[in-house]
Amino acid sequence: MYRDENGQPYGLVTNIQKYTIHDGPGIRTEIFFKGCNLHCLWCSNPETIEPRRQIGVYPKKCVGCGSCVEVCPQQGAPIVFGPGGLEAVRMTDACRDCFKCAEECPGRAIMVWGEKMTVPQLMAVIEEDRSYYESSGGGVTLSGGEVLVQAEFAALLLQECKKAGIHTCVESALNFPPETVDAVMQHADLVIADLKHMDGEKHRQATGAGNERILQNLKRLTEQGKSLVLRTPVIPEFNDSMEDMAAIGAFVRDELKGRLVQYQLLPYRKMGTEKHATLGQHYPLGDDYVPPEREVWEANLKRLVAMLKEEYGLPACAGSGEKLPEL
Amino acid sequence: MSTAATTAVNKSTEPLAIEPFDKEWGVGISGLTENPSPFPRINRMLKWVKSIDSTADSQRALIVTECDQKYAMYPQNIKWAMTLKELYERVDIHIWPDELIVGELCAPPNSAPIYPEFAIDWLVDEFKNRPMDQRKNDRYVVSQQVQDDVFNMQDYWKGKTVSEAAIASYTEDELKGSHLQKCVVLESLFLYAGVGHFTANYERLLKLGFGGIRREIEEAAAKLDPTDPDDIKRAEFYKAELITQEAASTYIRRYGELAAKMAKEEQDPVRKAELERVSSNCLQVAEGPARDFWEAVQLWHIATNMIIIESNGHSVTYGRFDRIFYPYYKHDMETGNLSREQCQELIEHSFIKMHELRKIRDTAAITFSSGTIMGGTALDVGGVDQNGNDITNDLSYMVLDAHAHTRLPNPWMGVRLHENSPWEFKVKTFNVIRIGTGEPKIFNDGPMIQALMNYGKDVETARDYVGVGCVEPSIPGKTYGWHDSASFNLAKMTQLAINHGRCIDCSSQCPRYAKCAGAGGSLGPDTGGLDTFQSFDEVKESFEKQMKYWCDKMISMVNKIDMAQQRLKPLPYLSLLIDNCIEKGKDVTAGGALYNHSGPQGVGIGTAADSLIAIKQVIFDEKKVTGQEMLDALKANWKGYEKLYAYVNGDRVHHYGNDDDYADEQAKFVMATYCANVEHRPTAHGGEFMPGVFSVTNNVMHGSVAAATPDGRKAYEPVSDCIGPVHTECCSHDHRGPTAVANSVAKLDHARIGNGIILNWKFSPSTLTGVTGRDNLINLMDVYFKHDGMQSQFSVVGRETMLDAQKHPEKYQDLLVRIAGYSAYFVELSTELQNDLIGRTELSFD
Repeated sequence: MYRDENGQPYGLVTNIQKYTIHDGPGIRTEIFFKGCNLHCLWCSNPETIEPRRQIGVYPKKCVGCGSCVEVCPQQGAPIVFGPGGLEAVRMTDACRDCFKCAEECPGRAIMVWGEKMTVPQLMAVIEEDRSYYESSGGGVTLSGGEVLVQAEFAALLLQECKKAGIHTCVESALNFPPETVDAVMQHADLVIADLKHMDGEKHRQATGAGNERILQNLKRLTEQGKSLVLRTPVIPEFNDSMEDMAAIGAFVRDELKGRLVQYQLLPYRKMGTEKHATLGQHYPLGDDYVPPEREVWEANLKRLVAMLKEEYGLPACAGSGEKLPEL
Repeated sequence: MSTAATTAVNKSTEPLAIEPFDKEWGVGISGLTENPSPFPRINRMLKWVKSIDSTADSQRALIVTECDQKYAMYPQNIKWAMTLKELYERVDIHIWPDELIVGELCAPPNSAPIYPEFAIDWLVDEFKNRPMDQRKNDRYVVSQQVQDDVFNMQDYWKGKTVSEAAIASYTEDELKGSHLQKCVVLESLFLYAGVGHFTANYERLLKLGFGGIRREIEEAAAKLDPTDPDDIKRAEFYKAELITQEAASTYIRRYGELAAKMAKEEQDPVRKAELERVSSNCLQVAEGPARDFWEAVQLWHIATNMIIIESNGHSVTYGRFDRIFYPYYKHDMETGNLSREQCQELIEHSFIKMHELRKIRDTAAITFSSGTIMGGTALDVGGVDQNGNDITNDLSYMVLDAHAHTRLPNPWMGVRLHENSPWEFKVKTFNVIRIGTGEPKIFNDGPMIQALMNYGKDVETARDYVGVGCVEPSIPGKTYGWHDSASFNLAKMTQLAINHGRCIDCSSQCPRYAKCAGAGGSLGPDTGGLDTFQSFDEVKESFEKQMKYWCDKMISMVNKIDMAQQRLKPLPYLSLLIDNCIEKGKDVTAGGALYNHSGPQGVGIGTAADSLIAIKQVIFDEKKVTGQEMLDALKANWKGYEKLYAYVNGDRVHHYGNDDDYADEQAKFVMATYCANVEHRPTAHGGEFMPGVFSVTNNVMHGSVAAATPDGRKAYEPVSDCIGPVHTECCSHDHRGPTAVANSVAKLDHARIGNGIILNWKFSPSTLTGVTGRDNLINLMDVYFKHDGMQSQFSVVGRETMLDAQKHPEKYQDLLVRIAGYSAYFVELSTELQNDLIGRTELSFD
């Protein structure tokens, strides 16, 4: 767990999104944790992967004031300008935890992905919307990145939420040892977990890790009686066939005994290309990757949902907009 | 969870309406639907009314001009009564195909009458110099004959109009701040046209009929002392009222006679029967009370048209529909006189009749707000009765269905909500909102009622309020409110307060230069400048002094317009329909009503607040720049000051709308200062001023005359709209989502805003799809209302806006859109995904 100079634990957070209505019941405040141990090819939040603060660059926002160069202890060496102005910041070892260029940039053309926040700081933001949670049956959702990368901090935050009487939900890929999972999830009222593929090798190719721990964790959590929403991002040519989904269907029916609150099939979206660019990266599926037409995937998604419902008896739905059953 | 709560509604007359309460019409599809109504007649009439070009008609103007000379020897009120008499006896009338409710505006559908008594020079100028058939929006096709008629009467009206009389009474200091010069105050609304902005007492009219009202006048007149000078004036008033009542009855009776004649000639037996019914309806309500729903709707419609014929003030409000008509509806349901379907069709028909009303406006007005239609045809449903009990009934649901079935910009619908509003009613309301037409707006009974009580009404009276026009809290039949009497440029105040009372863009180019700066002076008093202020307190003090000075000017001008209206344009017809005029023997314009107000709006509260915040934080707290540097930046319109521009627009400077006390304190200060200088000051027709905080689209106009402001707004950009946060060309200043906006806005004391507020919400359709989207929007509003937010209205953003957002992403920073597993900001998405969202259709499941 990270600690600041006073020994206070803190988390690295990339974003706090209020009025989130599709990651758990009601109106929620969603906190995105930084750091992830999977590297999915379709990742739409690449700024959450590295478990450290990073510079992000939005060249279009640069007003050309030169403040970044002025304050840079390395006289602006990492800051790259091209004919059209600011292009990139190439962090060097000497940069370490400096970030002065970003702190000084007036229009956030150079910005920092990841903010250090303590539990009390996060609780203050969470408390701002308490009345909305109460009215809607909402609460807090921790997401990422991967929440369990900062498991200890997440557990601390969740305990504070529980003490304050706020409903908690954790979204995770569950690719961790069982004790890490349990240490966090024991404080979660609802778990939203991802299952991307039943074939371990394919899973490894697309995410950088196998699915063994994920499957075990899913099984254990359902055996514990944990409320669980399962999600599968339906990715073209990766897991969008009837066979791929039937395999998941069989697993849920036979191994999880169908104990799901809801099973959501999320349509693939080509998202995050701009965020990749701020990090000087390319979209892993290719910047010029052209996804299938809407009619095509929409029809396929409907077919898959119908199959999972009828043949496997799963509480399946397309997207995350269907109301969760009362828990 | 409140969402789980279900309250049984109105068990006595199940089912509630012809549509189920939770019927969905799609999200964000707006009006893009063929044949929205289940009634073929309504769909036919919709196509018909939309196919007619807008035009102007000179009949009213010709008769008024003739009568103004013919009856010049009479007191004003009798002259105008005689004028109405001639008008209603002589004007052409028509009954159009399919009509079940009849009555026009002394001009055919989509044709605007002309009102030379308020002002005429502007119309001549428009006709001669800016052909209305070549306008991009608000196009009018006006015949040469009508234009010639107007040209020919211009000379007669020279020096006789309300506008000329009022402007002649302005002082030089007032003139320079008026719409004619620097437009610190936009006071022109009631200067060149009528006042409007009230609701007649329809319940009384429907119950008594014009004949019953006549008996009230006769009884009051019988008590007068014919030798008492005050009573002699009252006698003149009663005489005017009797002439006017007879004129009104004549007009309705003529429609009855025309319908009878047409019925005789009609070959189609179905239409023949309809015309016979139309005839008997009109003959009954010409003098008698309404006896059923159809007669009631007929009388309500034509009585309102006659209000507009008398004076073209907009926001003539149709009242609380479900309250006014429920007794008639209930009677018809119980006796089988009419079916629920027939009532539904009549409601939809009445909406089309509202839509055919026209008011012609000048080029400047239509640049800042589109206005072909009459405007302000407000109609409310829901809310509580005098005892605080929910009044929701079948008609509340049927009115909302009627909007879904017509999708017209008329009426301007309002839904009153309170803590005991039925869940089903909220579902119906938000399903209609989600269609994306922008209708209805929602009111929170708590602060609306409190606001009325803060301005002299007891709680029982306050509970019967209606939102007049846009949102103004008003008591039906009892208030002559002059709601929207001016709009006041709060953004301009920040400029004068930091620049020695001079405009930021003060230059020799300005037509006033010789009189202001060139003479070593300023536009307003010199209350100091950023070049000399030593503390933020001095800035606030200067702001307060400018506010006092210019609010005084505004109030003086509004009162002078009020006096000119009283002197030249009494309203004998409206005086029949507003309580207490007959009792007092006084015209409504002169204070005949029980409650009298004047409600000018403060515009640009966000811009003013964020400007003060930037000054406080950047100059005095952080000392990043000096006051002089800020002034230089504003005068240069930020050229050469890009760093400061980016900084004040960025999220490191506090901004109103983010649930941030540092910032929200300044919004409270601006609002409190405006209120303190407006509230409870006397109006010329009796009663007191009350402030409002909404701009409608005047924020664009006020922006167009204001140079750069310290919040990071460039010269002549719009100022912030209504009570919402700032959006500059650079970016939106609110960046923490809808709950933070709601929390910030709710920190202001809405109940102090007696003339009402508006909060505009923009949602993308995809955020609101499904039961999840619907219920969480209801929850969001429940909490905002629990925190005493007064009002909300919604734009469920459609395709056009998203296309524009692609072109100008900087203007749409807070446009939330629904993606797959969550919502995200539209501008942060790839072009392909944006295109995908744009391609989405109704009831999309993701």
